Amino acid sequence: MRKIVTCLAAVTAIGAGAGVLLLKNTVQERTDEIKEIARQIHRDEEAIRVLEAEWAFVTAPGLLQEHSVQFLALMPPRAKQTLEDPVAIPFRPKGIDVEQEDAMSVILPAATKPKPSKSEKPKQKRDSL
Amino acid sequence: MNAFSTTVGAEISPALGAVAGRKAGGIALARNRLIFAVLFFCAAFLVMAARTVELGLSAEGPKFTAQKIITVPPVHIARADILDRNGEILATSLETASLFANPQKIKDPAEAARKLVGVLPELSYADVKAKLSSNKKFEWLKRKLSPRQKWAVNALGIPAFEFQNEDERLYPHGRLAAHAIGYAGMDNKGLGGLENFFDARLSDPRRVSSALELSLDIRVQYALADELEAAMRAYQAKGAAGLVMDVNTGEVLAMVSLPDFDPNAPQAAGGSAMFNRATLGVYELGSTFKTFTFAAALESGLVSFDDGYDASEPLKISRFTIRDDHPKNRYLTVPEVFTYSSNIGTAQMALEIGTERQQDFLNDLGLLRPATIELTEVGTPLYPQSWRKVSTMTVSYGHGIAVSPLQLVSGISSMVNGGRLLPATLIHNSENWKQGKKIISAGTSRKIRQLLRMAVSKGTGGRADALGYRVGGKTGTAEKAVAGGYDTKALISSFVGVYPMDDPQYAVFALLDEPKGTKETFGFAAGGWVAAPVVRNVILRTAPLLGVAPKKEDSGLYKNVALMIEE
Repeated sequence: MRKIVTCLAAVTAIGAGAGVLLLKNTVQERTDEIKEIARQIHRDEEAIRVLEAEWAFVTAPGLLQEHSVQFLALMPPRAKQTLEDPVAIPFRPKGIDVEQEDAMSVILPAATKPKPSKSEKPKQKRDSL
Repeated sequence: MNAFSTTVGAEISPALGAVAGRKAGGIALARNRLIFAVLFFCAAFLVMAARTVELGLSAEGPKFTAQKIITVPPVHIARADILDRNGEILATSLETASLFANPQKIKDPAEAARKLVGVLPELSYADVKAKLSSNKKFEWLKRKLSPRQKWAVNALGIPAFEFQNEDERLYPHGRLAAHAIGYAGMDNKGLGGLENFFDARLSDPRRVSSALELSLDIRVQYALADELEAAMRAYQAKGAAGLVMDVNTGEVLAMVSLPDFDPNAPQAAGGSAMFNRATLGVYELGSTFKTFTFAAALESGLVSFDDGYDASEPLKISRFTIRDDHPKNRYLTVPEVFTYSSNIGTAQMALEIGTERQQDFLNDLGLLRPATIELTEVGTPLYPQSWRKVSTMTVSYGHGIAVSPLQLVSGISSMVNGGRLLPATLIHNSENWKQGKKIISAGTSRKIRQLLRMAVSKGTGGRADALGYRVGGKTGTAEKAVAGGYDTKALISSFVGVYPMDDPQYAVFALLDEPKGTKETFGFAAGGWVAAPVVRNVILRTAPLLGVAPKKEDSGLYKNVALMIEE
């Protein structure tokens, strides 16, 4: 009986000690993790401030206009092009539903066959169309 | 323990039995007592184990943990940001690294200088070499490096190069709205514009994390600046100013003064570039002032649309002669006087309402004292000290009185918004919107709206008519005062427009300082020729951004007035 009690006490002591140690280590790990996350958040917040300033710089209206003139050829909208209420825009005419196969047969066979091309570029262009 | 006791028990002799028995009894007693201690510890460890398991398993945070809360260190902000009404950054503070060297630690200054100039080409080799060869322990090499430059310098691997963090005030939009925002000096102190006016609030450590939100809209600001710049170039003007104001709240959406400066490098700007023509400059603005004379006259009830004045020949008063710029040489009805911008008719109207009423009206409009706005650069109006009859007549059409463009736009806003004078503001805060002081009745305001619309659709402001946006407005052309009189060649040409006239939302003002006529304007440099197109273009560009939709005009609104105007 005594032997059992003593063994039990020893096992409990060792078990409890090990458990507490494990728990302490886990807590320590988690704390370090949180501290690292906090540091990361701080670094990110600083980076966000820099990026926001940079974003404001690269989206300055003057620069956007320059790029628009260069690449888009957009002009300020005329009064005729502006609508107050989008309801005024009609839906696309629906038309008659055609099956997929039928649609293919309408296209000339030459259009479906890829043309033999010298470079890759025109092919890509057709694919994207 | 048991094994030990049996061995001992087997070997002891009977003679010693009694002693041993006594001893054994004592040991047993001790052992029994020890058992209690063991049990006690066992129980204690069990409790500990149970608690460990409980703590490990419990999902909810226990109520009484150790005070170990980890906080994210706040980002260092030296000065609060300034944003526009849509949250776009207009000014921000960033930590930048400044490069310095300890020349005593450098063995080969020529090599180090060559390497450094290799990554920072804007530095001069001779200059850097001289600095690195000196006997000092500290030498600034370059202030405010970008993160990429800092990385490049670090990559050189020269331990004598070190960095110190410094705060830098950055204006991502550069010149845009420079006069309104202002600028901050090297020590992060606001020196101009809003930066100066709100210096205490922006640098208050408790409030740096909350940004200052302005009423400016950077998109509108750019449209106005772009158009004014183009007009300034086309007409070779010395300068230009412009404003866009929400007539119902007094919020300034755009404030432009040209020439301008880059607040990122204010020391490079000349004195005239820093001058804010929109608030600090006071100008005789010419015929735009007629709006106020008409409002005062209509409000007083002494004049109605059915009246008229003889404008068949110039008006002589003492040594002055008042002429019309667009002479019709006939009797003009009141709407005609406004539409054709007749000085003769307006001067007679001013005499009818009298000097005192005119002064009171202009004073009510705040045109005789500096404007109230969140800027320190505010000009004091100039007006005749002794307000004689002739002053009354010239002031009625905007000569002999000089006010800032901001005051004019505030005044015009109050004329069209139903008669409420709202203090102009650069801060976007709907809680600050005031009812405003009532200047004229809603009826008079409606009449002024009709007149302004007529001046654009039939009169001198035709070039401001942005199709679909029902623009109303008034041209203004004034000769510049020079020593001993007026210079007929040097003009201040302006236009103030409001749209849409059936429900006024925004006032747009454009002013050009000494524009020169071109072939396209047939040599004219008056407000209707050079400033009105700027206002039209700004309206065409910004109305879709501001949510004002173009639509067909309800001509019924102006039918009665239109009938009184003979083309």
